[in-house]
Amino acid sequence: MDSLRRWRYPGAWKLFRLDDRLLLIVVGMVVGMCSGLASVALNRSLAAMLEWLRPFRHIWWAFVLPGIGAALSSLFLDKIMNEGAGHGVPEVIYSVSRHRGLLRFRTSFSRLISSCLTIGSGGSAGPEAPVVISGAAIGSSIARFFSLSDSQRVALVGCGAAGAISAIFNAPIAGMVFSMEVILTEWSALNIIPVGIASVAGTEISRILQGNQIPFVHRQFNLDLVDITACLGLAIVTAIASIVFSRTVNYVHHLSNKVSLPAWVRAGAGGCAVGLMGLFLPVVLGEGYPPVRAAIEGMFEHGLLIAGVVTLAKILATGVTLGSGGSGGIFAPCLVVGSFAGLTYHRALSLIWPQVAWTSEGCFALVGMAGLMSGVLQAPLTGIFLIVEVTGGYEVILPLIIVAAISTTICHYVEPASFYLQELLERGPIRRPRTDAGILANLSLKDLVDKDCIRVTQSMLLRDFLGAIKESPNNCYPVEDEETGDFLGMISLDDIKPYLLKSEMYDTVPIGQIMNIGPVVASPDDDLSEILDRMEAQYLSAIPLVAKGKFIGMLEKATVLEHYRQELIAQARHLKI
Amino acid sequence: MQRRLLHIFRNTPFGRETLLQSVYFCKKVKLELAIYIPKFAKFLMYFENDVVQVDLNRSYLTSPDTALMNASSIVEQGGLEAEFLEPKDFPASSLPALPTNFDYMACPRSISDRSSKIGFGHIGPKVRRLVNAARFPVLMPSSAYKEWHSVAVFFGGSAKTANALRLGLNISAACNMPLDIFTQVANDFRDTYGEAIKDSGLDGEVKSSVREWHTFEMGKLSDNLYEVPHDALVVLGTYGQSPVKQIFLGSKLERICAALPNNFLVVGPKYLART
Repeated sequence: MDSLRRWRYPGAWKLFRLDDRLLLIVVGMVVGMCSGLASVALNRSLAAMLEWLRPFRHIWWAFVLPGIGAALSSLFLDKIMNEGAGHGVPEVIYSVSRHRGLLRFRTSFSRLISSCLTIGSGGSAGPEAPVVISGAAIGSSIARFFSLSDSQRVALVGCGAAGAISAIFNAPIAGMVFSMEVILTEWSALNIIPVGIASVAGTEISRILQGNQIPFVHRQFNLDLVDITACLGLAIVTAIASIVFSRTVNYVHHLSNKVSLPAWVRAGAGGCAVGLMGLFLPVVLGEGYPPVRAAIEGMFEHGLLIAGVVTLAKILATGVTLGSGGSGGIFAPCLVVGSFAGLTYHRALSLIWPQVAWTSEGCFALVGMAGLMSGVLQAPLTGIFLIVEVTGGYEVILPLIIVAAISTTICHYVEPASFYLQELLERGPIRRPRTDAGILANLSLKDLVDKDCIRVTQSMLLRDFLGAIKESPNNCYPVEDEETGDFLGMISLDDIKPYLLKSEMYDTVPIGQIMNIGPVVASPDDDLSEILDRMEAQYLSAIPLVAKGKFIGMLEKATVLEHYRQELIAQARHLKI
Repeated sequence: MQRRLLHIFRNTPFGRETLLQSVYFCKKVKLELAIYIPKFAKFLMYFENDVVQVDLNRSYLTSPDTALMNASSIVEQGGLEAEFLEPKDFPASSLPALPTNFDYMACPRSISDRSSKIGFGHIGPKVRRLVNAARFPVLMPSSAYKEWHSVAVFFGGSAKTANALRLGLNISAACNMPLDIFTQVANDFRDTYGEAIKDSGLDGEVKSSVREWHTFEMGKLSDNLYEVPHDALVVLGTYGQSPVKQIFLGSKLERICAALPNNFLVVGPKYLART
């Protein structure tokens, strides 16, 4: 019976406790496979839904289809799954930075269904972020099931994200780099190996079930120095487009939140607006890969003006879809906007300098995609590797690096945080694992506070005070009201120095007369990193912790630093660094 | 730091009763009271290895303008001071996460305003998730405010119920009330209950503090529950039962809560007794 019971707690199986790294690799592979399956499921469902709705697209009322899809998606998330809408990736980053990678199990499938409804019906969004959160939630749930440690759980969340991106783009390196650069932001050996394995597993699952295809096949490009020089301008154009893109989505989101209508009505209205745009510019509908292919292959027939209008319309459509509450991500829209920004730029160059033999406009479309991805995500490596892998060619690597690097830098100057982090920063500081803030967040104020320090009252005479603190190692002491016990202030050795040589005053000066009223205090609800900042600003070595007007204890900087060091050692030992 | 109880306030007559009960509990056990007045219909609680989403029904968002005033007035009448929690942690824009560093949490038996459910003592799955994930015991108040004058512990001989017994002993000592133990004797374990108490190191305390140990050797548990004093705080432990087992065998906790109108303090499998 006991052996049967043990099966209920797989985390206790000897097999899973033999070697932590091996365990992480094996479980990472499983997570990668599950994420790959989730990606394939979403891909297939989207294809089926698009096919099913195709006959209706030409009817005049087809503009309501994206509205119905977005409203159903919002209702599904809100009423059935009890979740809010969102891009998905910020939630994963938040969970890694604040909650040790804990994600709800329901998230592993809810976003797949809701994004399928939104995108399949014609909403302008991408399926990549939903599969990222889905894969990450699978990783988190599997880590919970096996009772793995916090750092292992975080690594598996990264594995899920990597497997999902790898599978959906058939791009293992991009999946791995995305996970390390955007989700985990930590290039440690503990993470890289399982994340790499998960990327391979996710890609293989996708190749087995969908074939080894790359999304955008391109022709050979011949690049001259003049083209590479022109890419400097493209970097600026994509940086501007990235900023406009991020701000539009955020602006519509904030605007939509101010409207006092049910979430599903707002999402439906947004979807209908996108549907109306789609009547005139069908390229803005859905994930938008067919027009990207046309742009890369040089098959986009319309002129410079239309290419520019498509760029702006896609930004607006994505802003309205996601901002109004539709479910989906920004990867695919970034690729569309980037490719059309590149195309527009190329056509403008050809118009201004027709005598120059520019390379194919498809090359600029490719490079534009990397520029926009890098600018919006502020993750240049992800942008570079994704474009290299989804197009299957390395010959554009030089302009890709230039554009990705410059676009990221310009965007960073204008918007210090990436699109994903902007939303998170509104909710509080981000505490990445193994950063100062992350380590401090692991320390409990309860363990750091010295509650045994000597407390004095305001009516205590100096002589009594000197007697009380004779053997105390501290420099500061809290002063409390003798009747109510309320915290009144602090008295330090510096405060009594002027009286030390005047012994005649020992019996005449009460502590209340010389104490420091209104010292800097901390509350038990404050973040430790905030408290340390406060101490740093005031050059304090200790700060009183006060709650509801009552003194709780003293927080010494030396104690915090000692615990910080111990936590750092414990984490390093766990990671076997 | 002072030990605290977390109460999720509902601005309805049922909510008033549960808050009155929480205030009474805090006064008896000498706890501080932290109240959360929900502004959203759901919130998250992050535990050590689990995250629980609590989905509240609309009654929790009733009359938000008067909620703070009503809650404050109940707490004031009870002679306590309460801290009103404002969540700082938002994993999604409309989804706050509440801290979990409390020592107790008060929770209606079902997070529902339907009196039928509360009356029948149905324990909602969310409450069960909380009990299973939390390190703190969960107080499930009776549907109407009711003072208690003794502590009744259900002891089944396992480590989990030993934790419940430990908590019961602590509470009984803190509020100076008699403690009774109730055991439904299972044939396989007839002679092991005393041993279990000895193993958990509670034999001395049990001898000195327990008023009476009721053992039910005949009949079903539900038939024997009449013996439990109506004015006792019932303390019991629970396992993290699998859903299959729950469907086919039912839950002992569920059956006890359905039969008794008392206040309950439920100890989950991850509870760590704090002395």
